[in-house]
Amino acid sequence: MENLIDELKLKVIDALNLDGMTAADIEDDAPLFGDAGLGLDSIDVLELIVLLEKNYGIRLASPAEGKEVFKSMAVMAAYVAGHRTK
Amino acid sequence: MTKVYCLGCGVVTPVGNTPAGVYEAVRKGKSAFRMYEGWPEPYYASLLERGDFEEASFFDHILLQASRAAVADAGIDITGPRVGLVLSSIKGNVEKIDSEDVSLAVSASRLARALGVMTAPIVVSNACISGLAALLQGIRMIRSGAYDHVLVAGAEVQSRFIVTGFQSLKALSLNPCTPFDAGRDGLNLGEAAAAMLLSSCPFEASSCHSERSEESLWELVDGAVRNDANHISGPSRMGEGSYNALRVVLDSVKPEELAFVNVHGTATRYNDQMEAIALNRAGMQEVPVNALKGTFGHTMGAAGILESIVSMQACDTGVVLPTKGFSTMGVEPAVSVSARERKTDKKAFVKLLSGFGGVNGALLFRKGGGR
Amino acid sequence: MKQASILCGASLTDLYRQWAGDYPKFFKMDTLSKLGFLLAEMLVHDEPERFTFREDRAVLVFSREGCVANDRNYARSMQDFPSPALFVYTLPNIVSGEISIRNKWGGESSAFVLESYDEAQIWEIVRQAFQDSRTKSAFVAWIDCPADENYVTNAWLVDKTDLF
Repeated sequence: MENLIDELKLKVIDALNLDGMTAADIEDDAPLFGDAGLGLDSIDVLELIVLLEKNYGIRLASPAEGKEVFKSMAVMAAYVAGHRTK
Repeated sequence: MTKVYCLGCGVVTPVGNTPAGVYEAVRKGKSAFRMYEGWPEPYYASLLERGDFEEASFFDHILLQASRAAVADAGIDITGPRVGLVLSSIKGNVEKIDSEDVSLAVSASRLARALGVMTAPIVVSNACISGLAALLQGIRMIRSGAYDHVLVAGAEVQSRFIVTGFQSLKALSLNPCTPFDAGRDGLNLGEAAAAMLLSSCPFEASSCHSERSEESLWELVDGAVRNDANHISGPSRMGEGSYNALRVVLDSVKPEELAFVNVHGTATRYNDQMEAIALNRAGMQEVPVNALKGTFGHTMGAAGILESIVSMQACDTGVVLPTKGFSTMGVEPAVSVSARERKTDKKAFVKLLSGFGGVNGALLFRKGGGR
Repeated sequence: MKQASILCGASLTDLYRQWAGDYPKFFKMDTLSKLGFLLAEMLVHDEPERFTFREDRAVLVFSREGCVANDRNYARSMQDFPSPALFVYTLPNIVSGEISIRNKWGGESSAFVLESYDEAQIWEIVRQAFQDSRTKSAFVAWIDCPADENYVTNAWLVDKTDLF
């Protein structure tokens, strides 16, 4: 799981162009949205949905579902581990 | 200030190719939606028949067809040095992404040549408010004193580019769209072309052979474009830009003088809610509101011109068109939207639009001879 | 009237660190929007009361090629997994929107496509934009970006009193 979390962090940094960030800058349990976290917005949610489909064959139905899955890196990694098809 | 009138209109739509025909189709509740195969996901849209069309660009073709119809309707010569051309489109020939034809500037030049327009054309590409912003640009050109007439033409054809993009934003509904309805779940894309020939003082200009009276013509009184200054793809929660654009047109009209506001009404959750907030903030909650996306879908660069033309037709016959697809109020605070046709004896309306990039536009139309 | 430009080949990241540095959304933008963002920073960085909402400044961006560079980027992504983050930049007026958002300018924001760089035509349209009675100044830019590594820019900050 640790490996998957780090892998996801790198993919998220790349997909969302989070300049100057490294995997170490993102805490596993920190919220990704809102001012307290990475400050991601609605377009970022959509881009993360693409990331899951492209890399792990996971199709989320709606951005609302995405918001649940993308609560934190740890939550996302658990979801990917449980649902990945590739 | 110089008054600017609409002297002629032209339309190309899936439900008709004359303003009167399209208006009748809207009144009868017609539409041309169906499901199309996508890339790979299917989509529900209102598209034009390509028929046996074989020329290079269907986009350029419908743009020219609507433009010629508007010029013929106005009955004037547009080949003089005091005639301008404004083109409105968002993605033009985007399917030709690997060729020079992709540029909207190329389409504009081609249209100018085909029509014999001598002045350099201008393209206004302001996302979904392009048509309204192009009309405003036409008004300003005439008021600047350098032009007697300006042809404003807009068109949009759908493509893999646009459809997959809106799908990636999860913005499309697979059912007929339902503006302002509680169950609305997204927009439908549409194709159309529409054109208006704007003119100053057509009764004195020597280049004008119009025999119409001032009282029979619609005046484009004033308008504004305002930015939410909030987000490029999410509308402002307070309807800031839309409200500020409405404030400008309310300098020239009182809400109670308006027959209706023809809103953007895309049937996405956020757009319709935002418009309801802006209308309420502007004190326009009692003014009848309608949206035409349930008939045409979202025709993007054509929408501002097409929806204004249909609105002029409706107001001329004392009708506030219904909002097709609406049944249960789905915005808070509420606005005066209805699934039924209503009557009006008022002779002015506002066209309202919003789009990506945080842009919003409002434009006031009033039957000629008003104050 | 103030003027600014960015030479083709400049490092936009270096310019960002020099002129702004506190707006990570910059890195999500397409080249066209980055250029517009930087040109605006260069022209207004020392204005008093920056970031206070104002409705009296228009943002008018001109080009020949619109957003075609990013359109190609999106078209490539469309072949397998269409990218929403690229798609939202496939509009010529996102650059004017980004500038309005950054600076909290709630006035007019518009994008125009012209056949060629023609200063007479640009200034004719700018003067017409001042017909909006609330508009008192404008950020005006020619930003032509046919490809991500190939662009021409010229920007001005102009007051109504400079023109009339």
